[in-house]
Amino acid sequence: MSATQPYIPRAGERAPRPDRFRTSRRAELKIWWREIDRVLLFLILALMAIGAAAVAAASPASASRLSTSDQQLPDLYFYWAHLRWQLLGLAAMFGAAILSRENARRAGIVLFAGMFAMLVLVPIAGYEVNGARRWIDLGVSFQPSEFLKPAFVITLAWIIAWRARDPNIPVVAIATAIMGAVGVLLMMQPNLGDTVLFAGVWFALVVLSGVSTRRLGAVIGGGLVAGVLVYLFYENGRNRINDFLGGGTAFDQVDLAQRTLLAGGWTGSGLWLGIRKMSLPEAHTDYIFSVIGEEFGLLVCAVIVLLYLAIVVRVLVRLADEEDLFTLLAGAGLAVLIGGQAFINILVNLQLAPSKGMTLPLVSYGGSSTIAVCLTVGLLLAITRRNPFLKRGRPGVWQRLFGRESRQ
Amino acid sequence: MNALSISTAISTGRVNLITTRQRSLTVARWRALWLALVFAAIAAAALVRIAVLGVSDRTTTIASLEEALLPPRGEITDRNGVPLARAFPAYALWYNPRALGEGGSPLVKSAEEVAAELAAIFPDLDQAKVARQLAAGRPGYIRRRVLPEDANRVQAIGELALEMPQETDRYYPQGSMGAHVLGYVDAEGRGQVGMEQVLDRHLTDPALRDQPVALSIDMRVQGALEDELRRGMLAVNALGAAGIVLDVDTGEVMALASLPEFNPNKIDAEGEKYMFNRVTNQVYELGSTFKPLTVAAAIDAGVVRDFGRRYNAEPVAIGGFTIRDSHPLGATLNVPESLIHSSNTVTARIADELGPEKLRQTMIDLGMNERPYIELPARGHPIWPGDDWPRLRNMTVSYGHGIAVTPLHLASAYAAMVNGGVWRPATLRKLEPGAAPRGRRVFKASTSARMRQLLRMIAVYGTGRNANAAGYRVGGKTGSAEKPGAGGYRRSTLVSTFAAAFPMDRPRYVVIAMLDEPKGTTASSFQRTAAWNAAPIVGNLVPRIGPLLGVRPDDARDVDISDLRPLIRGDGE
Repeated sequence: MSATQPYIPRAGERAPRPDRFRTSRRAELKIWWREIDRVLLFLILALMAIGAAAVAAASPASASRLSTSDQQLPDLYFYWAHLRWQLLGLAAMFGAAILSRENARRAGIVLFAGMFAMLVLVPIAGYEVNGARRWIDLGVSFQPSEFLKPAFVITLAWIIAWRARDPNIPVVAIATAIMGAVGVLLMMQPNLGDTVLFAGVWFALVVLSGVSTRRLGAVIGGGLVAGVLVYLFYENGRNRINDFLGGGTAFDQVDLAQRTLLAGGWTGSGLWLGIRKMSLPEAHTDYIFSVIGEEFGLLVCAVIVLLYLAIVVRVLVRLADEEDLFTLLAGAGLAVLIGGQAFINILVNLQLAPSKGMTLPLVSYGGSSTIAVCLTVGLLLAITRRNPFLKRGRPGVWQRLFGRESRQ
Repeated sequence: MNALSISTAISTGRVNLITTRQRSLTVARWRALWLALVFAAIAAAALVRIAVLGVSDRTTTIASLEEALLPPRGEITDRNGVPLARAFPAYALWYNPRALGEGGSPLVKSAEEVAAELAAIFPDLDQAKVARQLAAGRPGYIRRRVLPEDANRVQAIGELALEMPQETDRYYPQGSMGAHVLGYVDAEGRGQVGMEQVLDRHLTDPALRDQPVALSIDMRVQGALEDELRRGMLAVNALGAAGIVLDVDTGEVMALASLPEFNPNKIDAEGEKYMFNRVTNQVYELGSTFKPLTVAAAIDAGVVRDFGRRYNAEPVAIGGFTIRDSHPLGATLNVPESLIHSSNTVTARIADELGPEKLRQTMIDLGMNERPYIELPARGHPIWPGDDWPRLRNMTVSYGHGIAVTPLHLASAYAAMVNGGVWRPATLRKLEPGAAPRGRRVFKASTSARMRQLLRMIAVYGTGRNANAAGYRVGGKTGSAEKPGAGGYRRSTLVSTFAAAFPMDRPRYVVIAMLDEPKGTTASSFQRTAAWNAAPIVGNLVPRIGPLLGVRPDDARDVDISDLRPLIRGDGE
């Protein structure tokens, strides 16, 4: 203990800044590079590269489909647009990843407050696309729900981590109330796919928060009831579920997607040589996985599945050594967010789930969604930053499982 | 814990807090690994699904741009290039409720009005069902196949939501003709039943499918065969009929018909009932048509040398079983007479002299112990009496009982018997001249020459007289076999067959006509036997197909039977 007076909060007086070794910007970047999860970054960039190629493949299909007699879109319209969005996304990713863990948390909470307010505004000030009111125009038009996703995860993780300071705060109840509010706002749009995704992330966080298995069972039961309610009262959802269970009609979206997926065999027909994609609606967004199947083959589809799995597993396994509850919750929640959205999309394309209208993160074409996913990844990188020179004090899960030192 | 619990209240709270934090961290870590396992399971499911889809046959058709310019499936033609199955650019009627944009009614008129107008164009349309479909606003097919003129009338309704996408369809321009030979293409685009299934790979191969595949079938002969078989079948209320016309020198099938038939253009439950092929799939005891084969084997083995020799025609009692003739034919008969009158007893005695080994070997050489040789996927396995024939089995086989084969077996065997003695596999592919398989010799050429005389004599003097078409030198043998039922043979339920070849002076084609369970009707003079129902079919058919196949009627030519003619007593005139 130093001899100086310890800090006691008083009005008008801030805590003295601790002395820090003054560093240059360059040195800070070096530290950042050492601290972030570079394997994760590499996996993400690989997926984005595949995404650029896939949008190049799907772009002619969507361009010819969305062309009108007045306006002829060039074949690669969506490809060039996607590259522009990806550049913006990379900037957002880097900007978020460079934050410290604390600042990433603060940014997430502020973003949540802002986007939640936007979401409230959507029913009043938003405009309609394809029968759903999801967009809002504030100079630039965007979907608040896209940016709400990472902010929602960070905020919920922050709230649940309160428990570490005071076990008496009903953190799960608060988290559930927030989930309920977001769910109601989303279903007013209506947006079933995102509601399911938010609920999935919420459920993952509740699982991590240590709720007893009995109550988890009750939550799963409640989820089933909610599914039945959706089936009974939400017509679009009912139609899609009926199509999924009843096999649908020939040449509906799902059937076209599967024909496209299988048209290339194992190795694909080659870039820009696919034919089936031309008759596929939403080729560049919801069904881009099928376009990849036609032009690059089922093997590449399997590689993409493995890449997403690698991302999720990499994050979760690395977090199994984590000492900080907020970091663990937020990191796991963001990984579940990306992985959950990816696997829902993939399962829809493989006809293992009813169609939802959800993009393949990091791969599908999208404006606000690309930037939002990149922002999510950036926050994930920031939150999972870890000093590589610090070792664990007590044995972690890995030592207990395998009896050896964990990596990093 | 004990030491801590007695300390001050504040520090207890702190320790509790730390314990809570550690506990929830541990739980969270473990559950993070659970989540990783859940994702691994989902990914595994996705990978398995990809693998399953990858090995399913839907993927094998890799679409490339050049292939898109080819027809989706190759044409099938007959031996003269007449199209039998072709890709047909058809229209479908598809309901697209979004054609007028999002929001608002998808139709200009009311759903009921549009349904009524559609029903006026397609009288078999379920108007109420279509009205419901239109009102529900869900996209889907209204009809799968629309003719061009009907498509124009649908356009004239003026509803943008009624779209007519062009779809290529398999079309069989000859309707149900040759249905069992051709088969059909199912909804997944795979050939079924007939040559569509056999040639499936060839017809869908991008390198080959721009060229039509020629079958050995001659459409004109096929039409005549089906026509005559159907007339004969309906005249005697038979359950079904089967017929085949086979080139004796090459084994090419000129026509092959199984009735009742199905319509490959419209596959439904009714059609699927009739997909069974009686010519290649069903085995029958073909009865007396086997007698010439037995006699040929006996001549070939030198057992029958003297055609004037008289055999005892009394019933044969053996092993508690008595072989009789259908009616008494006198005390003794020679070989030509026994065939003309179709005597079971004399044939059995000849077979007895020949011995079971020789007869069995002849049957094996004729392919009677294995599935018939033809490309079709559905081929019936004969009921073969096995390796060691007792004396009685030898005798029954000699007149076509105790052995069951398909009509195609019989056709191939007759071809070998009359073409100089060489057995060849039957084929449905058109063979180039000189490309006929060498085959295997079963009978000597001299035996074959004798058999031509004897078969011709049956048609001139015996039970085959109704098949003796003037000028075409038909020769053949009747067979009326009782069908086995519960507790033995049923006397009144017959399979009647006429196995013929023409022209007998230089045989070119074998014709088989078979009726399953013919009844005695006025048309057959209340007879059920082959002489009265199957033989007339051949008698009517040969004059129709002879000229098509290059056989002209000629009264001046015939096989020379003058050496055998004096051996026939009595009613032969």
